[in-house]
Amino acid sequence: MADEKGFTRRKFVQGSAAALTATIVVKPSLAERTGGGVPDNQEQVPHRPLGKTSAQVSALGVGGFHLGSIKEEKESNELVARALDAGINFFDNCWEYHDGISEARLGTALKGKRDQAFLMTKVCTHGRTKDVAMKQLEESLRRLQTDHLDLWQIHEVVYYNDPDLIFAVNGAAEALLAAKQQGKVRFIGFTGHKNPAIHLKMLSHDFPFDTVQMPLNALDGTFKSFEQQVLPEANKRGIAALGMKSLGGSGEIVSRGALTAEEGLRYAMSLPVATTISGMDSLGVLEQNLAVARGFKPLTADAMQSLRERARPLAADGRYELFKTTTKYDGKVGREQHHYPTEEKLPV
Amino acid sequence: MASEGRGGSEEGMASGGAPRGDGIPMRPFGRHDQDISALGFGGHHLGDAPDEGTAIRIVQEAVDSGITFFDNCWEYHRGKTEDWMGKGLKGRRDKVFLMTKVCTHGREAMIATRMLEQSLNRLQTDHLDLWQVHGVGWDNDPDLFMRPNGAAEALLKAKKEGKVRFLGFTGHKEPAVHLKMIETGFPFDAVQMPLNAFDAHFQSFAEQVLPELSRRGIAALGMKPLSGHGEPIVNGELSAEEALRYAMSLPVATTITGIDKLEVLRQNVKIARNFKPMTTAEMQALRERTRQSAGDGRYELYKVSLRFDNPEARLAHGFPLDDQSVEVKEMMKATENTGFPFPDVKQQQQ
Repeated sequence: MADEKGFTRRKFVQGSAAALTATIVVKPSLAERTGGGVPDNQEQVPHRPLGKTSAQVSALGVGGFHLGSIKEEKESNELVARALDAGINFFDNCWEYHDGISEARLGTALKGKRDQAFLMTKVCTHGRTKDVAMKQLEESLRRLQTDHLDLWQIHEVVYYNDPDLIFAVNGAAEALLAAKQQGKVRFIGFTGHKNPAIHLKMLSHDFPFDTVQMPLNALDGTFKSFEQQVLPEANKRGIAALGMKSLGGSGEIVSRGALTAEEGLRYAMSLPVATTISGMDSLGVLEQNLAVARGFKPLTADAMQSLRERARPLAADGRYELFKTTTKYDGKVGREQHHYPTEEKLPV
Repeated sequence: MASEGRGGSEEGMASGGAPRGDGIPMRPFGRHDQDISALGFGGHHLGDAPDEGTAIRIVQEAVDSGITFFDNCWEYHRGKTEDWMGKGLKGRRDKVFLMTKVCTHGREAMIATRMLEQSLNRLQTDHLDLWQVHGVGWDNDPDLFMRPNGAAEALLKAKKEGKVRFLGFTGHKEPAVHLKMIETGFPFDAVQMPLNAFDAHFQSFAEQVLPELSRRGIAALGMKPLSGHGEPIVNGELSAEEALRYAMSLPVATTITGIDKLEVLRQNVKIARNFKPMTTAEMQALRERTRQSAGDGRYELYKVSLRFDNPEARLAHGFPLDDQSVEVKEMMKATENTGFPFPDVKQQQQ
C-alpha cells in the first residue's frame, strides 16, 4: 500500500512515546494496584456536561488513532471494555485513521455496548464537497456498526483556507446540518491542531457547532495558545471544548523532562473542557490515565500557573508542539487536497 | 541626505530607479545615502553551480552586468558559496554592496563574532556592507537576540569596529515575528523577507511588514520572488518574468533572486534592465490570479513547514533535521571516513 510507510512511521513515533510515558510514570504503588485488575471499589471517571447540550461525557476520552496501533484486536477490545467499566463513555475516532482500521476496531469493541458510549468520529473532506462527506459518514457508520453517531466533527481544520472551503456553497458545513437533520448524528463540531486564528475563523461563522476540539497542554498555555485564544471563546458560546495532545502529541513534554505524564494530563483535564482525549495504545497507559482521572479533582489556578512556568522555556519556540510549527501531524488526505508534498517529500 | 519614502510611484509602489550606465536600475538603501541595484544576487543558488570555475564566471559577469547587491550567508552550503563568491569578487570587491548573514539562531554573541571572521575570510574582504541575522522565524528569536550576551551585542560591536557598515535581519516564517524584531528598537538598517504575488494573500509580509519599514526608513529587501524553488512557475500559475516584475514593483530597495547558471543571470539581468514597474491595475490583476492557490500556503512552504529552515537553525532550536537537505547531506559528507583500508568490522566484533 502506498501509504503504509507513512502510517508505520507515525505509529512508531506515537507508540514509542506512549511506551516511554508508561515506563517513566507508572509508580510502583500504581503498578501493584493494576497488576491484579481493578479493585471494584475504585471511584469512577467523572462526567461533565457537553457544552450547552443535555449530554454528559466522561472527563477522559479514549483517542481513536491509538486503538488502531494496538497489535491484537483482543487487546483493543479489552481496553475499550475496561474503559467503559471505569466510567469512560467518550470515544474518539476518525474516518482516515489507519485507513479505517481504527473505526473497525472500535465498532467491534463496542458490539453490544453501543448504548454505553458517546461515540464520535470525524469526516475528512479537507475542503471537498458535501457529497464526499455524506459518503464518508455512511462508511464510518458501517465500520462502527451503528446507525448513528453522538458527535460528528470535521477533521483537521489546519489549512488557512479551510474555513472558506468548509463554508462554501455545497461544502462540508452543509453535510453536518443534513446529517443532523436525518438523525444520523446528534451533535456536530470540528477539530484542528495548527493555529488558534484558524479556529477563531471557523467560530466567526456563527455556525451551530456543539463542540470544538483543540490541542491543550501546559506548553500551549504560553505558545500560540488555544487555551488563551480559543477556549474562552468556546466557553462563552456554550460550545463544548474537547482537549487533545495533552503531552505535546508524542509525549515530548514528558520525555524532555518538563512535566510527568501525570502532571501533563492533570493540567489538561483541569482546563474548562468537556473532555480530554488521550491516545492509549496499551492497557498500561489506560490504567495510568485512570489513576489520574478516577475521582478527578482539578488543579488550583496556582498549581496550573506553576506548571505553565515550568514548561515555558520549552514552549517558547514550539519545538515540542510540532503540530503547530511543522507539517508533521498533517495527514495524507489533507495534504493531497491542499497540494502539499507528501510526508516523504516534505519530511520534518 | 535622508531619503525616506523615496522610490514611490503609483500608490507607493516602487519606482524603476535611476539606471546607471549599464542599465540595471539603482535604488536608495533605506534612509542612507547609498544606492544598490534593484536586482540582487542570491548567494544560496551559487552553490548549485556545477563547479568553482563556473561560479566565479557567474559572479564576475553579474558584477560586470551592473548588479551591485550580493547576498550570502555563513551557513549556505557549509561555507562553499561564501568561498566561491569571494573568489569571484577578487578585484571587483569595491564595485559591490556585499551582504552576508550570521547564523546564531538565538545563541550568544561570541558565536556571531567568530562567524563574522570566518565570513570575512571566505569572502576575502576586510568589511561587509551589510551583516544580517539569518532566519529569524521562531517566536522567541527576538528575545534571544536582544538578551544580555545575545547576537545584538555582536552586531553593534562589529559596526563600531568598522567590520560592517550596516545591520539587518532576515526571515521567511511569520510577519508577527518580524514586527516583534523591529519593535525591539534595535537600529536595523535593513530587513529581508519573502515578497511575491502569493505572499500578498497569505500571512502577508507585504501587508504587515513593508509599511512599517518605509515608516522607519529601513531598507526592505525582497526575496523568494519565484516562491523559493519556482514551483508556481513550473505549474504554470504565472511566468518567471511576471513573478520577478511583481516583486520588483513593490516598495523595496532590492529583490534578491537565486542565480546558479549564466543563462538565469542573463535572463534576470534582461528583465531588470527593461524593468518598468507594474501599474497598480497590473499588480491587482496578477494577485487575482494567485488568490486561490495562495490560500493554503502550498506555494509558500517556508511559512508553513520546516523546508527552508537550515540545520543550524533547527539544531539551535531543538527541531528535527532533514537528512535530505543539501546542508545536512554536506554536513554528513564532511564527516565521512575516506580512509583505506576499511577496518574489518566483523573481525573486530569477535
